[in-house]
Amino acid sequence: MKFKNMLPYAGLLLLAVAGGLLAGYLTFHSRHPDRPVTAALLLHDAKPLPDFNLMDTAGGTFNKTRLTGHWNLLYFGYTHCPDACPTTLAALDNFSGLTAKLPKRLKPQVYFISVDPQRDSLSLLKNYALYFNPDFTGATGSLDALRALTGPLGVEFSYGKPDAKGDYAVDHTSFVVLVDPQGEEVALFSPPLEPERMSADYLAILKFYGEPL
Amino acid sequence: MLRRLMQALLLLLPLAAWSDGPAVSASHVWIRQPPPGISVLAGYLTLQNLTGKPLELKSVTSPEFNAVEMHRSFVKDDVEQMEQVPSVSIPAHGSVEFKPGSYHLMLMQPKKDLFPGDIVTLDLGFSDGSELTIMAPVRHDPPAH
Repeated sequence: MKFKNMLPYAGLLLLAVAGGLLAGYLTFHSRHPDRPVTAALLLHDAKPLPDFNLMDTAGGTFNKTRLTGHWNLLYFGYTHCPDACPTTLAALDNFSGLTAKLPKRLKPQVYFISVDPQRDSLSLLKNYALYFNPDFTGATGSLDALRALTGPLGVEFSYGKPDAKGDYAVDHTSFVVLVDPQGEEVALFSPPLEPERMSADYLAILKFYGEPL
Repeated sequence: MLRRLMQALLLLLPLAAWSDGPAVSASHVWIRQPPPGISVLAGYLTLQNLTGKPLELKSVTSPEFNAVEMHRSFVKDDVEQMEQVPSVSIPAHGSVEFKPGSYHLMLMQPKKDLFPGDIVTLDLGFSDGSELTIMAPVRHDPPAH
């Protein structure tokens, strides 16, 4: 077939692509008419968390069931982290203060999940989490158990080379994961966390998800 | 007579200080109180270069800690990372901020437990050979700006 004869087909293809894009756009917008504009990354569709099985500092199994029935924030880090983790946890403490008056289901439970189980025992983790806020809970588990949760969430962590004293830094994902009362990943908050902005975003997301406010 | 002499000497003091010229001034100095069981603390401050030449902060020590290092936190591809830096430059007549999520001092193994209100001594050494000793308060929260 000569190039000239192909032109009408190319035109048709272009039309089809444009039509498809328009249809997709309209479908998306009719489904999400009031999609809020947030600094947080709001996922297009809530994504169910994988099954996982960790231990938490409240003295029990930390699994998907623990996250159902109320909103949650998950932050992954380690206690020997001098700068990033205390900064994020202090911001989450301020954020908790701003959302303290919400009913129980809407008041997010904050979980600090250590990706450094070698150094972070549950007792160390407990005192650490409580230091930032008496309602914060720590959790951790074996590397395999941690990866069952972090892998599907896209949360990364890796260990630096130990120094002469055996101390090492841990690179870890910076964002805080918002999980809805069905145990589904809904949004990501990235640092620097500004408590006021974060709480405005959070309320907008609750409204978008049809929570009574 | 002696009083006169003392007064004259006192008047000269600021001049003497001026001629030496402090090269760097520090502000917004604070050390984050360590959570229980943790022996790594972060220290923050702003350094102002009062000279017309670029300077480098080359060393930090503290009698209250076994080791002090300079580090930088940064986020790359959504991953929080930290690297040790050998020195930090301060532009001529400019300043550098050590703050959460950026440059910070990493203070390791405190020789005693530290609580908010405690004061820690930091000895800073610069590339021009000058030194600065500052008093850093331990705080639970950052100071208000």
